[in-house]
Amino acid sequence: MTIASMRGVVKRYGSYVALDCIDFDIYEGEIIGLLGPNGAGKTTLIHALTGLTPVDHGTVSLFGQAKQPFSRQNKERLGLVTQDITIFDELTAKQNLLFFAGVYGLKGKEKQERVKEALDFVGLGDKGDKNPAKFSGGMKRRLNIACALTHRPKLLIMDEPTVGIDPQSRNHILEAVKKLRDNGTTILYTSHYMEEVQAIASRVIIMDQGQMIKEGTVEQLIETIQSEEKVRIDVTEPYLVPVNQLEAIAGVKQVAVAGNQISVISAAGSGNLDRILTIVKERTGVVGIQADKPNLEDVFFTLTGKQLRDRGERE
Amino acid sequence: MRVISTLPFTLLRMLKSYIFLLLLLVVPMLLLTFFYFILSDAVNESGESYLYETAISQVLVFQLFGGSIVMTFIHYDLFTKHKERMQLLPFHLPMYAASIVACGTLFSIILGVCLMVFSHFVLGVMLGNELWMLVIICLMAILSSLVCLILTFSVKSFKLAERLSEIYGIGFVVLAGLFFPMPQTPFFQFMGSYGNPLALSIMSVKEMNRGNSSEALQYACILLLAIAVLFVVMLLTGRRKWG
Repeated sequence: MTIASMRGVVKRYGSYVALDCIDFDIYEGEIIGLLGPNGAGKTTLIHALTGLTPVDHGTVSLFGQAKQPFSRQNKERLGLVTQDITIFDELTAKQNLLFFAGVYGLKGKEKQERVKEALDFVGLGDKGDKNPAKFSGGMKRRLNIACALTHRPKLLIMDEPTVGIDPQSRNHILEAVKKLRDNGTTILYTSHYMEEVQAIASRVIIMDQGQMIKEGTVEQLIETIQSEEKVRIDVTEPYLVPVNQLEAIAGVKQVAVAGNQISVISAAGSGNLDRILTIVKERTGVVGIQADKPNLEDVFFTLTGKQLRDRGERE
Repeated sequence: MRVISTLPFTLLRMLKSYIFLLLLLVVPMLLLTFFYFILSDAVNESGESYLYETAISQVLVFQLFGGSIVMTFIHYDLFTKHKERMQLLPFHLPMYAASIVACGTLFSIILGVCLMVFSHFVLGVMLGNELWMLVIICLMAILSSLVCLILTFSVKSFKLAERLSEIYGIGFVVLAGLFFPMPQTPFFQFMGSYGNPLALSIMSVKEMNRGNSSEALQYACILLLAIAVLFVVMLLTGRRKWG
């Protein structure tokens, strides 16, 4: 069953096209990973899907309603975990959730139970009476998620929910997302962290420059680049590597230098390793060589020619 | 009316906004205490205690700045930090804005009452008809909230709107002649009396205490009229802001 869909959606800001003819469906019970570099249009897409930004062209349908997709009834079935932490610092964690639960029409014992359930769900069950101003970044992020859960949304949209948090909190959030999926919640998950999307998403959409450039399961996407080989070479002086010379080798598709590492993607079976090593060794010392199996990051790089995050962000 | 469920939390948020409590409650209390020590025995030419006059002015002066909390909450909840989440909630957004205004005005009134209680019970200043003073505090709190809302809706930069709200407050204190005497020209005379909400509120309270209830009522009516006009302006600017 289709929970949400977009057909031919276009959004422009002046002459800049933020969304360029977007078509996609979200089916009940799935986790869709939405990937794209900064400025790809992910947040605009989320805003268009939720009615926060009006679209210039095309239709948005939510819960089968295309005429009034952003009705109050539909808003009650929608949850948004914002990219920025949007909790009230003056209220305790429990009061934050009571605020939102009340707006969703929950009352009395049910409201209290849902608040407790949401706090327990994100692992803040014992922190309900604490002020979020004293929370760590990860705990604030978890509370931010809990605020979108008290009303048990049918469709939960999570816009970069793990930005800038510790690995423990990140794992907790990812486990919580899987649990939500198991409980029947449909999730649209955007992230800069490829490994997160690879771990939880049942389907992935890759966006760049306002366009959806590829869509499919992680396996399907990886299959599309199985015809390629990736070699990573650790060198001592990366600035001496003749990138142009490497790119000129027959069969080489991409060459990227990040830190002390050179990544070369070539056509499968092109037997380029010897040639590549020879050229690199002529200019600089080689410390290590790795031949990788392609992952989602490679798919992204092949399709967009960009790294999703720079090295600093990954660390 | 799901917005009603947010009222206690909005009020609680305001009561926990320590910066506002410091500026709108602690500072006037300190000022009142300071004046208590230097003016306790002084009387003016009409035989009224300077402290009585100062206490009334202080309580009402800080009402001019009470709307700043409404301004801040509206800005963060509806236009910046919490905007996305609020817009997706299943309630009528202008009603939520109205609930913030109601809470902000109540917050300002509560602070005014706290200052009255402090003046009366701690400093022993007799403020006269305290019920009438409460009415005037309410009018001033509403007026200040409306002015700050209009600034929030009509000025693009929030920082500038904040500064303008401060100019509104400080400007009327200066024009009322509380810092130093103003020139005796028709303009300054008008801006120090009928054209000045602070002067109107002070005059209304004083006239009521002198037993001139009709004059006190007249000043209060001018304040009410200003509120009515500003309410219409606020609706127009608000509608324009929300498109």
